[in-house]
Amino acid sequence: MKLFKKGAEADLYKTEWQNSKAILKIRKTKTYRNPSLDSKIRKQRTIKESQMISLVKSLGVPTPLIHFVNLKTSSIIMQEISGTTVHDLPESRIVELSLEIGRLVGILHKNGVMHGDLTTSNFILFKKTVFVIDFGLSQNTIKPEDHAVDLRLIKEILNSAHAKIMMSSWKNFLRGYKNVVGNVYYSKITKLVSDIESRGRYAEVV
Amino acid sequence: MLGLGIESTAHTFSCAILEKSGNKGKILSDVRKIYRPEDGEGIHPREASRHHVENSSMVLSECLQEAKIVIKDLDMISYAAGPGLGPCLRVGAVVARSLASFHDIPIYPVNHAIGHIELGKLLTGSVNPLVLLVSGGHTMLLAFLNKQWRVFGETLDITLGQLLDQFGRSIGFASPCGKNIEELASSSSNYVPLPYSVKGNDVSFSGLLSATKSAAEKNKTDACYSLQETAFAMISETVERALSFTQKKELMIVGGVAANKRLSEMLKDVCKRHRSKFYAVPMRYAGDCGSQICWTGLLESQVKQGAMLKDTFVRQSWRLDSVKVDY
Repeated sequence: MKLFKKGAEADLYKTEWQNSKAILKIRKTKTYRNPSLDSKIRKQRTIKESQMISLVKSLGVPTPLIHFVNLKTSSIIMQEISGTTVHDLPESRIVELSLEIGRLVGILHKNGVMHGDLTTSNFILFKKTVFVIDFGLSQNTIKPEDHAVDLRLIKEILNSAHAKIMMSSWKNFLRGYKNVVGNVYYSKITKLVSDIESRGRYAEVV
Repeated sequence: MLGLGIESTAHTFSCAILEKSGNKGKILSDVRKIYRPEDGEGIHPREASRHHVENSSMVLSECLQEAKIVIKDLDMISYAAGPGLGPCLRVGAVVARSLASFHDIPIYPVNHAIGHIELGKLLTGSVNPLVLLVSGGHTMLLAFLNKQWRVFGETLDITLGQLLDQFGRSIGFASPCGKNIEELASSSSNYVPLPYSVKGNDVSFSGLLSATKSAAEKNKTDACYSLQETAFAMISETVERALSFTQKKELMIVGGVAANKRLSEMLKDVCKRHRSKFYAVPMRYAGDCGSQICWTGLLESQVKQGAMLKDTFVRQSWRLDSVKVDY
């Protein structure tokens, strides 16, 4: 098996599942972590990820198919989406796709799902469809505060990794998000995002 | 070029003199006086600023003596203008302004957090690092992009330093408590489950603080051990996330908590996995010091004129990601 990506949490290998291209995602032991904490985290996230990927598919959010889950090794075999991560696309495309990303996140939140790791690397464009991946930190939650944490994270990522197009893509993201969740919920969440930001260290006190 | 840097953001009052030639900097002297609150108590801003006032002239003259120079030799003066505690910041600013206006020396207000990073780069030789800034005032992951330090992750509530200090004080230590906690932690290996809260690239420590306080009622040693294990694992995980997202090949850790050995050990392991180089600022310069302010001021003086006296105020909530870096 070929190592395809060394992620933060897990290693990804290219493999096959019944003659189709597949990815083996394995959450390896982290030697720096206390063993009992480590095994708890790995197991929990493997379960969460596989459950959630299947659940959100039924909501119409494109995700890879889960083929096989092995809790002993904390690994998942899933369909390979052989597209490009949004992070690696040209800036103008990122701005465009932010609308769709906002829409997808809106669907998740509307159905009580928080992704937990909304970065531009966790969206893959494949044949005009944006797939969402990496649900290891996701949660079933209807708490607006949790949804706001999701939005804050993607905002932070746009601000740091895509600084030049931050304003336009954030605007598009919010538009796509608002279209799904509606005006009332939108205002509530964006207000909470500012609340979270103001709680941060040395936040500008408005 | 000779510079004087004055640091007074929190508990440390420090003056340092550095000499800069080309890209190289040499620390000629770095003198500090640290305000110590009573056991179980935190920094009282008024008391800390009184401490700074009382010690400022002594620290300044010692720093000049050690560097074997007189004030007239100085080419510039810089002071920490923020972020920090208002009353403390003002002491440093007053000293800097007085010297600058009386001796007619250019003055530079410097961001304290940028100071940690720049001094770290000078002392470790790191070129393009992902920076982990962990101190009493900051817990941030930063990378440099388009003339600004960008935040990839940070704490959503209290900092790592505050977590350690507030917990330490609750079991009777005096701030800063990191060292005491580290010592106590090293005599236990019994992990008590505590809340682990990583939100993407961000962390949240407030729940962990409350939970550790209750755990300490049963066993202080185990609580210290478990607190370190949990908090540092959270930090290490976000570092891993940021390394893999930014693809940086260097990690540099700066700030007071950089002195913790267990944290360094965990981060070294992270770097090994990601084939990144690990740089830690030398222990003596991990915490707040005049050198960080002086070096940043010297760098700024390459591209900027000194500030007008009317622009030499302090800014308690001066975020480092709002600073344009032109040098």
